[in-house]
Amino acid sequence: MEFEPLTQGFRHIGAVLRGEPKPVDDCVRRWSVGTTVLYVALTVLGTAVYGAAMGWWRSPLQACFTAIKFPLIILLTTLGNGLLNGMLAPLLGINLSFRQSLQAILMSFMISGAILGSVSPVIFYLVWNAPQMTAHATGVYAFIQLTQVVVVAFAGVVANLRLEQLLQRVSGSATISRRVLYAWLAGNLFLGSQLSWILRPFIGSPEMRVEFLRKTAFDGNFYETVFRALRHLFSP
Amino acid sequence: MSDQNPNPSGQVPGFPAGTPGANPPVIPPIGQMTPTGNSPTLGVSPAERAPISGVVGAIEAILRQPRRVMFCLKEPNPGGLITALLAIAITCSLVYGIIVGTFSGAEQLWAAPVKIAVGLMISTLICLPSLYIFSCLGGSQARLVEVFGLVAGLLALMTVLLIGFAPVAWVFSQSTKSVFAMGILHLAFWLVATIFGLRFLLAGFTHFNAKSFAGVQVWVVVFLLVAMQMTTALRPIVGRANSFLPAASDKKFFVNHWMDCIDAETNNVRQSAEAR
Repeated sequence: MEFEPLTQGFRHIGAVLRGEPKPVDDCVRRWSVGTTVLYVALTVLGTAVYGAAMGWWRSPLQACFTAIKFPLIILLTTLGNGLLNGMLAPLLGINLSFRQSLQAILMSFMISGAILGSVSPVIFYLVWNAPQMTAHATGVYAFIQLTQVVVVAFAGVVANLRLEQLLQRVSGSATISRRVLYAWLAGNLFLGSQLSWILRPFIGSPEMRVEFLRKTAFDGNFYETVFRALRHLFSP
Repeated sequence: MSDQNPNPSGQVPGFPAGTPGANPPVIPPIGQMTPTGNSPTLGVSPAERAPISGVVGAIEAILRQPRRVMFCLKEPNPGGLITALLAIAITCSLVYGIIVGTFSGAEQLWAAPVKIAVGLMISTLICLPSLYIFSCLGGSQARLVEVFGLVAGLLALMTVLLIGFAPVAWVFSQSTKSVFAMGILHLAFWLVATIFGLRFLLAGFTHFNAKSFAGVQVWVVVFLLVAMQMTTALRPIVGRANSFLPAASDKKFFVNHWMDCIDAETNNVRQSAEAR
């Protein structure tokens, strides 16, 4: 009997992953604490395990740090943009409350967390098989970095596809749903990239100490660095 | 009627009903399957609904009546069948490992079977969570235990087919001294056996209402890569070395390892030619 909520939660997650319309629409329309906790728990678990896999190559300590930082980025982005996303939805044509917007976004992060968590054994295995991280292993470093990017991008694309399907059903219009999705994405990417910049490193570097945050974490921002890099590229 | 069974009654001419071979297994073509389109619903035929008992029954079923295995996996409590399939996979991989070990002899007679069996199980465990998630993303209604059952079926079919290749592998291993050649041969046999196993897996997912196979196909690529990397992580399996497993400082990806083997083989061939 005490496993029933667990079984129901498991079944609900399966329904969300499959994109079944009714369970997904119901959980967003009828907001509940239990569902929110479930989404947050699975997001944290999946991204923490994946973060550990990311950081393991540098050292077990880096794995612990990244396991904390990766879920932190997701949660801080969701909360930081919660008000904004809640306001953008009705402004752009979908009548969702703040809680419903938050639930929808948490649902999409839960999907990406589930994907990342399920792929984390493969990433652990990849890292375990990789030669030790050294200053000279630039080729292997690039390969692992690229693999992480592809996996995270895949999880993000799938999660956003499901979110777009949900928004389309709620709004009844593909144009409005895409407008809201792109607005949410723009805000989340903008805040998320800066949070990633502050909370670096994730994979780590053999030439630098393993630390939770770099000493220069709050010096400068992601977009300044990109701008400087572009300027250097085009006018060295 | 299907491409693989042009006889609409399903019975092979010349084989009386009820005899082995009378009703060959019908596996729908891959890539053209839809949940309710090309292949009939599982359990329509009484033969498919017969329970599978024991290891021998499971081997017969996985080879001749794969739909019966899929039906039994959907029934309540498929634990017995899954256990039998896993036992088949482990036993057959151990036996094939002994054949692989006969090339080098000595400690490889026990090391090769252990590495092959353990490597196969670990590769499967690594890839299992992602298979469940990717199958859900494709719309499949399969529960985790059913996915596990399909994977057990994949492993059982793959390893039973490897036993079929075992006499051929043994003959070659007794008639060549080239580790490289034997490695290629075993990989080729493994690939052919895996293709049949994956056909069973994909056919199984059609009966769980999968709307899209894209996720499972991505998983297939991941599984193949993980398994091939496992052969490098657990080397040597065909040849011999001073240690059971490679040192931590000797870790490499399987592509690098294969390139190193090709270079070594090329040098060997060149040196042999020069010596003559």
